[in-house]
Amino acid sequence: MENLVEFRHITKRFPGIVANDDISLAVRKGEILAILGENGAGKSTLMSMLFGMYAPDEGELYVRGRQENITSPLVANSLNIGMVHQHFMLVENQTITENIIMGIEPKRRKFGLFPVVDLEASHEKVHQLSLNYQLEVNPRDKIEDVPVSTRQRVEILKMLYRNAEILIFDEPTAVLTPQEIESLLQTIKALRDGGKTIILITHKLDEIKRIADRCAILCKGKLVDVLDVATTSIQHMSALMVGRDVSFTLEKEEHERGAEVLRVENVSVLSLDHITTVDSVSFSVHEGEILAIAGVSGNGQVEIADAIAGLIPVKSGNIILSGNDITNASVRKRIEAGLSYIPEDRHAVGLILDFPLKENLCLKQYYRPPYSNERGILQHEAMAELGRSLIEEFDIRTSKGNDTLVRSMSGGNQQKAIIAREINLDSKLIIFVQPTRGLDVGAIESIHMRINKLRSEGKAILLISLELDEIMQLSDTILVMYNGKVQTIKRANELTKLQVGEYMMGVHVEKN
Amino acid sequence: MNTIIIEGLSFSLPLFIIAIGGIYSEGSGITNLALEGLLGFGAFFGGLSYAVLSRSFTGDPTTLIYASLGFAMIGGALLALLHALMCIKFKANQVISGVVINMLSVALTAFLANQINASFFGQPSNKFLLEVFPKTTIPLLSNIPILGAVFTDFYTFELIIVIVALFMAYLLYKTPTGMHIRACGDNPHALAAAGGNVQKVRFWSVIASGALSGLGGMCFAYSISTTFSPNIYMGFGYLAIAAYIFGSWKIGPTFLACILFGFARSGGYVLVQKLKLPSSYGDLVLTLPYIVTLVLLLFFSSANKPPRALGEVYDQAKR
Repeated sequence: MENLVEFRHITKRFPGIVANDDISLAVRKGEILAILGENGAGKSTLMSMLFGMYAPDEGELYVRGRQENITSPLVANSLNIGMVHQHFMLVENQTITENIIMGIEPKRRKFGLFPVVDLEASHEKVHQLSLNYQLEVNPRDKIEDVPVSTRQRVEILKMLYRNAEILIFDEPTAVLTPQEIESLLQTIKALRDGGKTIILITHKLDEIKRIADRCAILCKGKLVDVLDVATTSIQHMSALMVGRDVSFTLEKEEHERGAEVLRVENVSVLSLDHITTVDSVSFSVHEGEILAIAGVSGNGQVEIADAIAGLIPVKSGNIILSGNDITNASVRKRIEAGLSYIPEDRHAVGLILDFPLKENLCLKQYYRPPYSNERGILQHEAMAELGRSLIEEFDIRTSKGNDTLVRSMSGGNQQKAIIAREINLDSKLIIFVQPTRGLDVGAIESIHMRINKLRSEGKAILLISLELDEIMQLSDTILVMYNGKVQTIKRANELTKLQVGEYMMGVHVEKN
Repeated sequence: MNTIIIEGLSFSLPLFIIAIGGIYSEGSGITNLALEGLLGFGAFFGGLSYAVLSRSFTGDPTTLIYASLGFAMIGGALLALLHALMCIKFKANQVISGVVINMLSVALTAFLANQINASFFGQPSNKFLLEVFPKTTIPLLSNIPILGAVFTDFYTFELIIVIVALFMAYLLYKTPTGMHIRACGDNPHALAAAGGNVQKVRFWSVIASGALSGLGGMCFAYSISTTFSPNIYMGFGYLAIAAYIFGSWKIGPTFLACILFGFARSGGYVLVQKLKLPSSYGDLVLTLPYIVTLVLLLFFSSANKPPRALGEVYDQAKR
């Protein structure tokens, strides 16, 4: 088979690290090539060079057998290379069509004189394109009004509109729900069958197994191996990616759960548009128990966690933590009553990205001794001390230790920082919302072990996750939510994965 | 009623063209609090050009009057160049740059006007005297009841403003250039990924805001006092900012806000005359547009949507 793209001895250095170390890799025409690696392994960097966002320090790039200097995305476009970035590059207050045609707008002359953007013809062209590739969008919708999955389709259409032959997807499924992932994978397959060449950057092994033809594995900036997916096991791939064997099962000790820590009584929550997102939900979590809330994304799980943490108000019902009614308490009161919260959105809620690590690690304690003295002056040495011990204990990897700006850290290490901060509070109740989202296998494993250890220590744990495997593996009790209501709440050993899946889709309606 | 409309429009339209300048700059993502300074500097430059040229020019003085509008635009653009360099090239804080330019403009024009008057024209003064701007009435249309006042006895610069405003609206909403400007204000990275040049688009948008502010400022100089003097700095630039904020950074609604401000002002004057109040109450009327602003703030603040990337320094590496 013909090699469409060749990386020859590519090296790229950033201050402090070698992101890509002498990588030689060929992409064949008409294949789906997966680039697998942990967070920070250099996958995105390698592909960014193909898309012209960085220039390699050493080595050459060959496209269609010719050496090319891809100095900008514009050059990449002219070589028919397109990329869907992890963070979408869309103008939110413009329509889907305007986004797709940006930079190469078709024009016509109004009254034979004034050049204007020919939106009508463009709407039609985008509509045709979306029909051809079965990427359903309404060309006239504004980006800000459409969901994430549609935005992703717009990004794909943007590439196709520019006649891209080589399509790069950077972790495309990280932002999608399971159903949306399914349909995206079908789309990618269909594009391949239509003659496009696909490069898929990911760290999700099951997706690679399902659609990729070959898989290139990167570990710490080096190319480890290129494998034929059909003949390689998931275990083998993950071992190569992490550089060691990963156990996929977790040893869980059996023990009786202790006293009740959190009681949620008939809690209802309204969204900003006055829609009931959580409808009269009741449950309780005990010492040494992991209660997992399962459900398809958007069925009220995150809202219930936010309500318990005090980020959004409850409409009715009570929340009782260790005997104290915290229904209307301030967030600080809740924290002091013994609540730790690992939020879903690390960037918006979990961290202050432009603060150094040590200050982020102290965010929930900075106002009290020893981090502030009695006159309210911050004690930087005490904070640094805390930072050093947490960095050590939780193996947070940084370039400058305590003083690293959190923005510059990788996703996995940012998550570690949040978990370190929250566990350090030594709260009775710890809420984990999607704790492993967007993380690689190694990081997931260490977080799972951490949660399991907390359970053994007698903490009450509320786990909210979209990953069914994670729930089945960790939980003692499973609560399934559908449409804001509790579908069922049962001991984990009384439910199979299949049954939980059915409850999640609202197949059974529990009669109380 | 006629007076309200005639006077109201002669205030609203210059305000409107300044506000469009603000929409261009902020629509492209560069916060522009400098409108006040830009309109003043534009008026200074226009006034200076008139004062200099009228000494040697012997033809029809109205030619000079129109030419001074052009010079005012150049003057506004020149000072806007400073804002553009500060914000785009040197990535300075846009709010501070805007405020400093306002202060600089007041001080610089007062100094220069004094010096130039003293050394070239031999008369100590901080003013440049101007001619009365020509007025006109459109026959037939002006006979329409009530609305006819719009076409009666108006300054011809109002016509120029309407034409420029229509062109700027066309440019912003119908052409690729306009699409790129609006994209810059929402997500500059999207434009960059599509091969656009964010810095360049923003640079020219800020320059345009300076030119439009200069035009508006010169019109104010003609209509309010027929001079350029430091009195030009009466806060109309800030009023223009209020206007486009109420208009949610869109040209159409901003026009309505400007009309409202203009009519509040001229309506107040008429009221003072009708009630035969002492002339000192006229000063009270001057506060009307600002009181209207405060009241409108109560209703509109939550509804309007600023450009998403407004005030953000564009950094290619930060995504």
